[in-house]
Amino acid sequence: MREPPYPIELKPYGRALVELARRRADVLCLSGDLTKQTEVDLFQAEFGERFIHGGMAEANMMGMAGALARCGFVPFVHTFGVFATRRPYDQIANAIAYPNLPVRIIGFMPGVSTPGGPSHQATDDVALMRALPNMTVVDVADAIETRQVPALVADVPGPVYVRLKRGEIPVIFDSDHVLRLDRASVVVAGTDVALFASGMMLAAALAASRALGACGVSVSVINVPVIKPLDTATVLAAASAASVRLVVTAENHSIIGGLGSAVAETMAEAGVGRPLRRVGLRDTFAEGALDAFYLFERYGLSTAAIVETIWTALGCSGVPPSVPVVAAGGGEYSPV
Amino acid sequence: MRVMSETLDPRELALRIRLRAVRMVAPQGFGYLGQALSSAEQVAAVFGAARPGVDRIVCSPGHYIIGPFAAAAELGLVSEGDVSGYGQNGSVFEAIGTERSPVVDYTCGSLGQGLSAALGFALADRFHGSDARIFAMVSDGELEEGQVWEAALFAAHHRLDRLVVLLDANNSQVDGPVDSITTLEPIADKWSAFGWRVFDIDGHDVAALSAALSAASAERGRPSVLVCRTSTRHGLDCLPPDADGHFIKLPPSLAAAAVAELTGKLEALRA
Repeated sequence: MREPPYPIELKPYGRALVELARRRADVLCLSGDLTKQTEVDLFQAEFGERFIHGGMAEANMMGMAGALARCGFVPFVHTFGVFATRRPYDQIANAIAYPNLPVRIIGFMPGVSTPGGPSHQATDDVALMRALPNMTVVDVADAIETRQVPALVADVPGPVYVRLKRGEIPVIFDSDHVLRLDRASVVVAGTDVALFASGMMLAAALAASRALGACGVSVSVINVPVIKPLDTATVLAAASAASVRLVVTAENHSIIGGLGSAVAETMAEAGVGRPLRRVGLRDTFAEGALDAFYLFERYGLSTAAIVETIWTALGCSGVPPSVPVVAAGGGEYSPV
Repeated sequence: MRVMSETLDPRELALRIRLRAVRMVAPQGFGYLGQALSSAEQVAAVFGAARPGVDRIVCSPGHYIIGPFAAAAELGLVSEGDVSGYGQNGSVFEAIGTERSPVVDYTCGSLGQGLSAALGFALADRFHGSDARIFAMVSDGELEEGQVWEAALFAAHHRLDRLVVLLDANNSQVDGPVDSITTLEPIADKWSAFGWRVFDIDGHDVAALSAALSAASAERGRPSVLVCRTSTRHGLDCLPPDADGHFIKLPPSLAAAAVAELTGKLEALRA
């Protein structure tokens, strides 16, 4: 795994979808008036005949995608995550999830990664999609995982929701890292704390683990790219290890209904009695701002917030270790 | 998917749909009989026009599925025994159409979604180079749902001319007459303004329905909609004047009167 600042890639998803479409004539691309923003201008340029402008009409777009899937196509539907889930929820439920159709819903701009305010911030999309039977829910961490998504989800028999960071995508994993839909993976081994992270919070979790490790607190980091179906075996193994005194989840999402809830449910049903702390939006809408950096700090999604959460929960004395943000130059990314 | 074992004169089929629907609803003593009464001629026309295994039938409002079920029973597409389970525990002939519903290609109890599915079918047919037609039954109450208009815009923009909507304008929704809840008129002008070919017809006139479907089939470059003016009481004179068109109560005495009335009309038609 790389160290921050991470190099960035542009349009890893868009390129990978084009590669898939070159091999698969059944792949269709639908866009809800956010074609460049969701990287599928690349698809439109090469496969214009298989590209469908849904316009600003998400309900209709989901309904059409369901029917296209019934006819043997594999529609990839693109918009921002917030519009992909809240607006057409009933359509996704009835026209896609209930009939268990292979529609791939790709929602960009997760959580507070956009400063565009609550109307644009997908802070409950994972919870909404996770509640739907048959739905697979994916929240990947970096460009190496992102570029594997189109081919990996193409043949899932039912619907899939994928949340993807928009714009500059960090490269965190080595290029041979393999994304699997049935596996969470321990990316840092530790003894005292099991820290589960999904999506954009992986980079912050890794930074928090490093900072705490330097102070003698050993934190394992488990990357959870698939929230549903959850790899409960890996979750339970990490959470119930004899030395583990604390379990923490970190998600760029509400603490209600997402990764934190999924891990909590899994632990409770298995009778794993460990203190749990959930890092995420604490049952609040966020706000519009100038940049996402500010929002990650303000809403407790920073590396420092993870460190402080762990430090406090473990009852450590003194002040928690400081975690100066690694400066990122142009074309680089560091977690907040 | 559908194999027609029998073809029927649309007037007779519409009458038999009404009679079958009465018998399907009678065991419960209430149900979506009004939908069958207002749409019987439209259902008969669709089942007469749709080419089995080629064309698709969408029943957008799941509450209307009683009509296609009744037609399928009359045409021998499903058994009378099967359809007698309509609305009963464990039956796939659920009273509000679902994914399990046989007979049609798409239906949904959450209203206003069927036209989008019809568009998806039309796009798929276009990708496949097929000239198959899509017959989409839609109700006037559904026009209150924004999704219908999203779909109407899309269909016209993409010139989905293999698509024909049969809009059952029965002026009935749960809370009362549609025009007392939301003004939809001028319905025909709205669809016309959205770029559709519009036929504003008496939805109980089988000749008008047949002519409009033929003209819609010949239409190129735009989708068609048949605005079918109907009544949820049509063809069943014994219904009390205050019958709730959305959900008609049918106690045993009224059910017996309805069966007698419709059986008599059927015999008269065949005479």
